[in-house]
Amino acid sequence: MKAAKTACLVCQIIESKIPSKKIYEDELVMAVLDVNGAVPGHCFVMPKTHYPIIEQVPDKEIGKLFQVSNKISSAIFESLGAQGTSIFVANGIPAGQTVAHFTINVIPRKENDGVNLQWQPKQFSEEEISTVELKLKEHTKNIGYFEKEEKKPRAHAPKTRPFSEEEDEHFANQMRRLP
Amino acid sequence: MPEQQVSPEQLKALQEKIKQMSPEELKEFQKKQCVFCQIVAGKIQSRKIFEDENVLAILDINPANPGHILLLTKEHYSIMPQLPDDEIAHVFMAAKSLSNSMLRGIEVQGTNIIVANGVAAGQRAQHFMAHIIPRKENDGINFVLPQNSMQQAEIEAVGNKLIAALGGTPKEAEKESKGINLDEISKILGAR
Repeated sequence: MKAAKTACLVCQIIESKIPSKKIYEDELVMAVLDVNGAVPGHCFVMPKTHYPIIEQVPDKEIGKLFQVSNKISSAIFESLGAQGTSIFVANGIPAGQTVAHFTINVIPRKENDGVNLQWQPKQFSEEEISTVELKLKEHTKNIGYFEKEEKKPRAHAPKTRPFSEEEDEHFANQMRRLP
Repeated sequence: MPEQQVSPEQLKALQEKIKQMSPEELKEFQKKQCVFCQIVAGKIQSRKIFEDENVLAILDINPANPGHILLLTKEHYSIMPQLPDDEIAHVFMAAKSLSNSMLRGIEVQGTNIIVANGVAAGQRAQHFMAHIIPRKENDGINFVLPQNSMQQAEIEAVGNKLIAALGGTPKEAEKESKGINLDEISKILGAR
């Protein structure tokens, strides 16, 4: 993990080794504008601690990260004249995650701005949907306790399944290709 | 929802009625009109995946992929800026847990969490919700987030506007964060 952290583009931004325009910072969270944003005002909100995937981010930090994202979204409406904002998170490579450091995108939106976060609805059989419903419920029945304050031991701590070293390395390699 | 046929007179009478409502009455009125409030109340059927005091997660009837979840607040909020901080925290802690459930339960390799604020971002319902979408390689979803190279001067200018709106220098922003102007934002978003 140490090696991955050193190679992490986001960690280097947080440590100011790579210059960026900081717009918000507190103990846990930093938000910056990036030269490679999708549109002007595209903000990246990230935990200061290196967590490759959302599963590893503690609940308390998740709460804080999205509270900051919501404030930034409101600031985008107030100060940039946006017609909308998108909050977008990609978990895993098939979802479009390109950096191995959990990041929330807060994106100012206008009509025809070249950003596409829409989808075409798909049709599935009753059987397929019912199967998915049952499988999901099997796993959601254990949800119920969020760590709103500091860390406490959890009675039903979910097993974490972090990325393997190779996956982490793969992310690191991808990041090196980024400008 | 099918649009109801309303005569201009009826529309005017309705607008007049809405204007005279107290904020509490208006909220009640919005709730009655809102499909998702009806789902929360159990008056419209849905496939419930998870529920607690604050939120309800259901399967989207127009899914991007099988298992696509809509995470709703039980309280009626038309837009995200209306949510208090503790609700925001709760919603996204639930979103994280639901994303984990997808990765373990339905053999997918990723998830997207998306909130659309305003029509320009794709918001269609007047009830706040987060989408949690299971993802696989080559699943036909093509989200586009172009990478544009921006001028440093432009980034500085845009960044300074945001910093000012957030209430000061990045370090001080948290302490001095001023109240946001919900009325203005609601106007932009066409929500009352």
